[in-house]
Amino acid sequence: MNTHKSEKFHATTKTEGSVCTVYLSGELDLSVAPDFRLVMEPLVGDTALDLVINMKELKYIDSTGIGILLSILKARHGMDVKFTVEEVPPQIQKLFDMTGIAKFFASQENSH
Amino acid sequence: MSDDIQKVILQLPASAEYVDIVRLNLYGIASKMGFSYEDIEDMKVAVSEACNNSVLYAYDQVDGFVDVIFEVSADALSITVKDEGESFDNVASEERITLHDKELSDVQVGGLGFYLMQALMDEVNVISESGKGTVVTLTKRLLLSEERV
Repeated sequence: MNTHKSEKFHATTKTEGSVCTVYLSGELDLSVAPDFRLVMEPLVGDTALDLVINMKELKYIDSTGIGILLSILKARHGMDVKFTVEEVPPQIQKLFDMTGIAKFFASQENSH
Repeated sequence: MSDDIQKVILQLPASAEYVDIVRLNLYGIASKMGFSYEDIEDMKVAVSEACNNSVLYAYDQVDGFVDVIFEVSADALSITVKDEGESFDNVASEERITLHDKELSDVQVGGLGFYLMQALMDEVNVISESGKGTVVTLTKRLLLSEERV
């Protein structure tokens, strides 16, 4: 596994029908948190869309990144619209389970 | 068997752009010691959180440095993250939180860093003195039976 290289953070957005998926790659840490916020900002308030983050190519996330996900969860929850994650790598799922954010994603899976 | 501890010392600008350099060095040292992939991932997160705290809270608008000292012994790796800025005493005492017992509407964003450090490492020591900076020491023990990377 090629984990020793520092990979630049990237976010690509694709909308299909009523689902908007943001594909993340590289390392989501403190240094790129403002970039991630900027990508997500216009999408968070769109109640016509189901918002999904695909993490298949995400190599690393820190508490700053988890904090941003949490604030999006809060905002979307307040508007009663979906925000989910998919293809979460095991090492990131472990952090989601540890911090407790996992349950907020899981609780939406059977709704709608 | 020698009890020698060997040190690798890094000094970096207290800036978010340099935290990945700490992770790269950690990867090199920890994989050379024989830590498992999972342990290295755990340490990467914990060490980055310690560095984030120094970057975010230690130096208010002034340029500062973060020292990272890797102490390699036969059966453990200790990583010390040290700054000489304002202490983040308040952060350390108030923010060891998780989201497990909370409703989404009650959770506060932020403050998960210290919790992650403690959950991911075998030992965490924080010494914070007002005006003199903060020293965080994180230790992971090397279990020799583990799969090597």
